Parts: sequence; C-alpha cells; structure tokens
Amino acid sequence: MKFGIFFELQVPRPFSPERERQVIENALEQARLADDLGFQTVWAVEHHFLEEYSHSSAPELFLTAVAMQTSRIRVGHGAVVCVPEINHPIRVAERAAFLDILSGGRLEFGTARSSTWTEVGGFGADPDDTKKDWDEYVRVLPRMWTEERLSHRGRCFSMPERAVLPKPLQQPHPPLWVTVTSPGTELDAADRGLGCLGVATAGLAEQERRTKEYHRRIQLCEPVGGAVNDRVSTLNFLYCHEDADLAAERGLLFLGTFGMLNAHLLFTREAYPTSAYQSLANLAPSAARKGASPGDRPKVPEGMCLGDPNQVIQAVKRWESVGVDEVNFLLNAVEVLPQAQVLESLRLFAREVMPAF
Amino acid sequence: MLVGTADPQTLAEGAATLPSFETQPVRLEGVETLQVLYEMESAGSASLLPPGLHPTLPPVVTWLVQRVAESPWGAFCLAQCRVECRSGLRPRGFLRQGFVDAPRAGAALAERWGFRLRPGRISLERGYDRVCASVELDEQRVLALQSTDPQPLRPADAYIVANVHLAHTPHGLRLVQIDPDWEVARAERGQPSVDCFEPEAWSSPGLRPSHPVAGLFTLSCMTLPTLRYVSRPDSLAFQGTERVDT
Repeated sequence: MKFGIFFELQVPRPFSPERERQVIENALEQARLADDLGFQTVWAVEHHFLEEYSHSSAPELFLTAVAMQTSRIRVGHGAVVCVPEINHPIRVAERAAFLDILSGGRLEFGTARSSTWTEVGGFGADPDDTKKDWDEYVRVLPRMWTEERLSHRGRCFSMPERAVLPKPLQQPHPPLWVTVTSPGTELDAADRGLGCLGVATAGLAEQERRTKEYHRRIQLCEPVGGAVNDRVSTLNFLYCHEDADLAAERGLLFLGTFGMLNAHLLFTREAYPTSAYQSLANLAPSAARKGASPGDRPKVPEGMCLGDPNQVIQAVKRWESVGVDEVNFLLNAVEVLPQAQVLESLRLFAREVMPAF
Repeated sequence: MLVGTADPQTLAEGAATLPSFETQPVRLEGVETLQVLYEMESAGSASLLPPGLHPTLPPVVTWLVQRVAESPWGAFCLAQCRVECRSGLRPRGFLRQGFVDAPRAGAALAERWGFRLRPGRISLERGYDRVCASVELDEQRVLALQSTDPQPLRPADAYIVANVHLAHTPHGLRLVQIDPDWEVARAERGQPSVDCFEPEAWSSPGLRPSHPVAGLFTLSCMTLPTLRYVSRPDSLAFQGTERVDT
C-alpha cells in the first residue's frame, strides 16, 4: 500500500491575494513534509472557476514548485482536463514533459474531462464531446512523447508533422492515469491500460466490485501508451490524532465542509441533460447515516481515515483488502483545520500508521 | 460558503398556506414538461434566496411549463420560475412564483404542497422542430420560451431538480421540500431561448437571465409526494430541518 496527498487548493472567503498565497504556501509546506515522511505522491487537481472549492487552475505551476522543493516524492498532475477548449493537446504534452524533466522523472500524469457545468460551460465546451475528446487525447499524447515527429488528423484536433518538444525523462513516458468519478470509467481505464485515479470516495463494496472488474479487464487491454499502468488508487480524508474523539470531531468538520462545498458545485448533468454524464459525480461521502434525519449527529463514514492511529490502520486495511494499491488523502478544506494540526496529523500517520503497511 | 440574503418575512408575502402536513401522494398522468435553464447574472442573485439556501455557482434559473392531461382536479397547466440552489447538500429549485390556469388545481397545489401561484393563461405547444411556451397575466405576456432542434435523449438522462417552496405551515414559515417521482417516457434536449421574461410578474426583481444552457422536454407521469421534511428559511438545513411525516 502506498500513500499520497491530494490538493484541491481550497480558499476560504473573502478572497484576497494574501489568502490565496497562504493556502498555496501551506500546501507546499505539507508537500515538503510528506516528502520527508515517505509519502509516495503529491497530487494536484486542475479546476477552473470553482470558487472556494478549488483554486487549482494552474497545477503544473504548483507541481513545479513542489518538484523544486522536494527530492523524492512523485508529482501527480491529477488530472489534466483533456478538452481542447480548456487545454490544447500539444500544450498538454509539452508542459507535462517539461515537468517530468524538471522533477527528475517524478511525474504521474492524470487525465480527466471535467464534471461541472461551471467549467465545461465556462470554456464553451460541448458536454456531449468531452469523453470523445479525452479518448483522442489519451491516444495521441503518448505518441507526442515517444515519436520524434508526428502528424495527427483527428476529431477534436489535427496537426501537420512536427516534433513535440521536449520529450519526457521517464521512458517510455510518465505513468498514465484517468480520474474515475462516474461508474464505468474504470472500464475505460482498463481497456486503455490506464491507472484508476479514484477521486470519488466510493464505498468499500462498490470499490471492491469496480477494482475486481478493472483488474480482470486490464489483462486484455490494448494499451494507448508505451506501458500499462494497472494501479488503483482511491481518495480519502485524513485526520489522525491520538485522541479518537478529537480526531472524529475535527475530521468531521473537515469532511463536512468539503462535502458541502462539493455538493454546491453545479454538475454538468444538473444543468445540461446528456448521456455523456451519467452521474452528478459528487466526491464526498455524506457523514449522515442511512435512514437518519438531517439534524442527527453525524458519524465518521465507513473507510474514512478520521480517527486515532489504530482506527486509521483498520480503515486503510479495509481498502487494501478490496484491492486498492494507493490511498490519496485530502488534508484540509478551506483551511478549517489550522496548519499545525494538519502537519501533526501527517507526522502521526507516518509514525504510527505507515509502518503497518 | 455563500447563502441567500433575502428576508424570509418579505418573501412570505404571497406565499401559500399549508393547513396541515398530512398530504397524500397524487399521481399526474400525461404530463408534458418544458424546462428551460439559463445562467443568470450573479449580481443580486443571492437576494433571490432565503438564508437557509445556498446559491449555485454560477447562479441558474429554470422555467418549468407543464401541461397535465389527467389529475384529480382535471387537466391543467402550471408554469414555474425557480432559482437553483442547495438545501444542505441537496440540489433544489426554489420557487419564486408560479402560474396556474385552473383554480381547483391551483388551490390543491398551494394548500397541499405549498406552491406559490397566481392565476394566468398558459400555453405549451409542441411542434416538429420546437416546443414553445408562454404565460400571460391580465392579457400581458410575462414569459415566452422556446426549445428548438430537439435531440432525443434516454429517459434516464432527463434530470429535473426537485422543488423547495416557502410557505406558511403549522410550524410557522418554512421551506417545504417537494421530491416528486418522475416516470419519464420521452425526453428531448433542445436549444433554449427566452423571448420574454418579466421579472416583476414572477416576484423576481433583479433576476436577469444571461446565458442559455439547455431546453428539456419530457413526457412523463409525475407523482406529487407526501411531505417529509421542512426547514427553517433563516437557518442552514443542518440546523433547521424538521421531519413532518411521523
């Protein structure tokens, strides 16, 4: 089992340049500590226009800063929105290769298509086309990284023969992932030989079913790249404290805040009826129990890493038992937890939980 | 986190009155629905919602125009102007104002589910290449919508956010949550346009539609539900929700 940290870069209102800077500085400090503590990967999302929820609109810049301030931890571009109105594929290939070189070959490359109307509509992209765009990107990006020169005639873009430069340091290219929110995307990942970057916190039973099917199917894949990435990661929430009650209290504050912000996004399916988005793609599990009333006291949902070290070990073991290879942790939500508490939670996790895996 | 800024007491002027929460489900047959969804200007949008609701980003308005073939109150047409929002985690459409063309249906919808309604003349016409809807108040047009070039969708792809109504209830002024059950037989998406919208007639001063998103036409059966939850309009749903079906 490997562990990563995952940044949305959530900024509390009222927005100010100082606040934006503080959120980024805090995240960089967490990344440096994670590097020291033995975490595997720092992931940063790409989002646009998502007030409070994510100000991570230039993750390649954030991850460059991470790469420059760390020595060992891998940098996860997770994930690049593969839609031409948002990122031209040639620029995606160039930036990723550059980041791989700057980081000394530490890049993990995630792909996605965006799930909110706020973003898709904001860039004027057609929701019916984003999945097709993504499919074209994941097939052509590896060629841009591995072929000396290439030309391409496709549905979403075409180019005459050119050398896309530079080429990445890792050979044949950085590991490829796709974010999995909608059910079924794990099958798309398997068919193409891509890693499953879970960004929706599926329940354990659902994760087990999806992971089994993914591993069965990837054996038969036709890889789009030069190497198959058959890893499965999941997203989780981490707040670890020696006092279990305190851990739950602070953890639920963090989880609940994140869940509220996530639920307030305007998902594509809500605004624009289409077969291309079959779920709302909410990310956070509700802390409310099934059958409970809205006013009831919430509990830590099954599998969430919000507790004392022993509780967190048990939660991670359950993810391990359903075939998950990596758990990536969100550490905060709009800074509701003070930075000192986040750092101490990371240290405690590394000291007491990591050795169990 | 953004919340609405409208004064609930001011919003309550014209709100419906529910004498009781004991509402039995009612099935409506042969329901044709045109929903047109637009982004709207964010300036002033929070003032269209009470503090118990959160606006979406970007703010969005939906107009729903429905022609109901069969109901316990006979055939009727209903038109609604709703501001999309969240009650706690749940997507909702906050009804700013509705119109109805049949007094019996209007009275039942108001008294049993808290629909805020005025009498009006409503038309919904479905042609080969477009669906058109309009609402007239005292022979003045206050809404004209179109959805053109319809593309068939799977019925499961039709998504209409559930309503929330501000109403006088036995618990006082409350947000009444309405989760109808839709059985969609046909769904089409079209290019939306709003040719006429008079915000004042819809009790929505300051609501300025800005960017067309989607038109949706459905043919369905719809069940108006029993009431399960209400919430205080001046508190967030996590603190202010009350169960009323026990």
